[in-house]
Amino acid sequence: MPASTGWGRPEDLVENLSSMDTTARLKALRDVKNQIIGNKTKKLSYIKLGAVPRVVEILASDAEIPLLVQSAAAVGSFACGNEAGVKAVLDSGVLPHLLKMLSFGDNKQVVEACARTLKMIFQSSLAPRSEMLVGQRMELLLNLLNSSNENVAEVAAHVLARCCESVEHQQAIVDAGGMQRLVTLLSGTIRRREAALDGLAALVKNNPQLSLQLAAMEQGRPLALIIKFVKDKIPRTRFLACMCLANISRSCPFCYPQEWDIRTSMLAVIVKLLEEPGQVGEESPIVLADIVANNEELQRAAYKFDAIVKLSALLQRESLPTKQLEGILMALAELCSRLEESRRQLLDQDPGKNAQAAIISALSHPSESVRVASCTCIKSLSRSVKNLRTTLSDERLVFPLFKLLDDPSPVVQVAALSAVSNVVLDFTPHKSVFFQCGGVSQLIQLSRSMDPMLRLNAVWALRNLLYLADMAVKEKVISELTVSTLTSLIHDPEEMVQEQALAFVRNLVYGSVDSVQQVFAEESAILIAVERQLCIACRPEVCTQGVYVLSNIAAGNELHKEAVMSFVAPVSQEGRNPSPILRFLQDMSNPQLRVAAVWCVMNLSYPDSPGAVTRVARLRESGIEQQLQKMVDDPCLDVKDRVKTALEQFTGLANV
Amino acid sequence: MNRLVMNYFVTEGYVEAAEKFYKETGTEPDMDLGTITDRMEVRKAIQCGNVQDAIEKVNDLNPEILDTNPQLFFHLQQQRLIELIRSGKVEEALEFAQEELAPRGEENHEFLQELERTVALLAFEDTSSCPVGDLLDVSQRQKTASELNAAILTSQSHEKDPKLPGLLKMLIWVQKQLDEKVSYPRINDFATAALEDPAT
Repeated sequence: MPASTGWGRPEDLVENLSSMDTTARLKALRDVKNQIIGNKTKKLSYIKLGAVPRVVEILASDAEIPLLVQSAAAVGSFACGNEAGVKAVLDSGVLPHLLKMLSFGDNKQVVEACARTLKMIFQSSLAPRSEMLVGQRMELLLNLLNSSNENVAEVAAHVLARCCESVEHQQAIVDAGGMQRLVTLLSGTIRRREAALDGLAALVKNNPQLSLQLAAMEQGRPLALIIKFVKDKIPRTRFLACMCLANISRSCPFCYPQEWDIRTSMLAVIVKLLEEPGQVGEESPIVLADIVANNEELQRAAYKFDAIVKLSALLQRESLPTKQLEGILMALAELCSRLEESRRQLLDQDPGKNAQAAIISALSHPSESVRVASCTCIKSLSRSVKNLRTTLSDERLVFPLFKLLDDPSPVVQVAALSAVSNVVLDFTPHKSVFFQCGGVSQLIQLSRSMDPMLRLNAVWALRNLLYLADMAVKEKVISELTVSTLTSLIHDPEEMVQEQALAFVRNLVYGSVDSVQQVFAEESAILIAVERQLCIACRPEVCTQGVYVLSNIAAGNELHKEAVMSFVAPVSQEGRNPSPILRFLQDMSNPQLRVAAVWCVMNLSYPDSPGAVTRVARLRESGIEQQLQKMVDDPCLDVKDRVKTALEQFTGLANV
Repeated sequence: MNRLVMNYFVTEGYVEAAEKFYKETGTEPDMDLGTITDRMEVRKAIQCGNVQDAIEKVNDLNPEILDTNPQLFFHLQQQRLIELIRSGKVEEALEFAQEELAPRGEENHEFLQELERTVALLAFEDTSSCPVGDLLDVSQRQKTASELNAAILTSQSHEKDPKLPGLLKMLIWVQKQLDEKVSYPRINDFATAALEDPAT
């Protein structure tokens, strides 16, 4: 660095930080501070030169006010906005000194400087959060909330908010009286009330019990105040109030009167805040996502407020902060989760073309949460048939998406799998793009994973892949998956995996005689597995899929029908044997299962095939007809209609 | 009305006027007059071209302001460069641009365009007729000074604009709306604010 800045060589400055001469020490300190404020590059180079421990030493042992103020400010600046700085100051043991000054310091400037520094440190994820909630430190923080110094109160609330990482933390703070103290701050000055909103929002986040507690507190007076702040003239206050209320609604929906109206007005406010500069704009998208989550009407209202247009425009800005990008993608994911017009708007408009590009490039973002958010967004978009056929089958999207199946982070893998599950339902018979990118092999590999979530989602994706696929696809998949893997999946320890495996077989055998034939490969291993599962499974969803497999097989040729018959109407020496599928027809808790079973019977008794008469007779002997007759007034209309057809088929064939 | 006037003095930084007004009317100023003096010194420093001095002063006031406002910090550095160029210290200016401004451009690509404009000043011998000559205007100093002033006010949780001009604008707009609908006593002369009856 040149001498022209008038500050002297950096190495000299660092040396002077430990000078015996107070004046020299103070000058060096001030110069370092002034150089690093706002200047990330300089912060990093001074850290490398070892400035931080020397500055902390001054804070720890010096007594003169100017030295304390400047050193606190310098430490704060080192920690501001860069993780290396936070690590350096924490490693130098600054925290106890800061806390000591905050408790006992009587000089206003020193206390304020220390408060600011504490705030900077706690904006980082490296800050030691759990350590702050124990004993004396927790008491200190709560006392600082009541400080007459506004800056100090604000910082205390800020630190508490950052320390709410778990339900235990939140409860500990509330038990020590934290919620009460924060609520008192709500009626204070602008800074105090914003600090209070920040703290309360963190206390109630993902916590139904505390959300309810805050809403009901003091006959709803604090809640009413927060609701009023949604319309405050200061953007940051509006934002914090919305965040707080959104957290309450997300944890504990409808826990206070007129929550619906308030959510709608919050929505209008937050959509306008999307374009606000600074932290408010950066964090508004994720709050928007929280407000509309799982709520179709609010999503529709947001669409009308042009939320999607605004978010789409934001996506096209360069170098978006990570948090903001993640928020925008999550908001779009929620907004497009149910409404076709939203998905259409995002992908069809001209600016929308670039929104697509941004979503796709986010799949390769360095941040894990951004990658997850992008997958979630794609999953929402893939609920649209039109999109599946066009945008989402495009290899520019498919290739990077499938790459995430190998992502080092399991969270990303599951999110990608979820999106892939939908995307492979592209309704084209050849599905070539998924083979080209090696995605099918990846899915098959994941279906052998030790992780049940990965296994489940992989099998689900494979099931969707086979939907309406052509023979070539089915043969390729089965030969790579192998019959033995498939039979293991049918008998998987997890019931949900069993269900998907059976649904996979259902899709496998659907549609043609050749398809049905697959199930007889390797000495009917697959069919045997399915039948075995039908005998032992309890979960109705599993049985439903299994019965549909039989049903689809029974739509095949005579041999196929015969194979199903030997299960459904077993022949033995004793003569009459009750059918194993009777229990499905009798299951009043699950109409889906009953429908599936009646379909199976219908296919077996289909009149236009040679063996129909014999089959009907055997079915009758197994008690099927009798059971069907009991079902003519089944409460489920679907079941009732099928039963009628089946009985007609039975009667028709009986008269032959 | 008194509070509006006091708010104007305090926001715009007229300390002596604020003090006198307080003595005359007893209206409390809505911020600590001591901080106004600090803020005005920062503003004066920039208006005289002493950007370094202004930076040190604002860092003493509140180190967070420049640490959390990359755009503002960039503009202050930019102003320093402009002042170096203005005083003919070309070599120093080049070194400064390389050492201090280039990293800002690297940290934040949005600044690159403005950075290029400013460095372009160095390419022209006759700065008065060059396309980026406006950067050397006094108005550029004003712009930077106002930006810094606003940031200080915001950090003190004070609104950065006085209320009085806004209210006047609203009054003008309301009167225009009413003009189309009814006849009513109107304020035509804003200096006296006398209500004049509509012409009959």
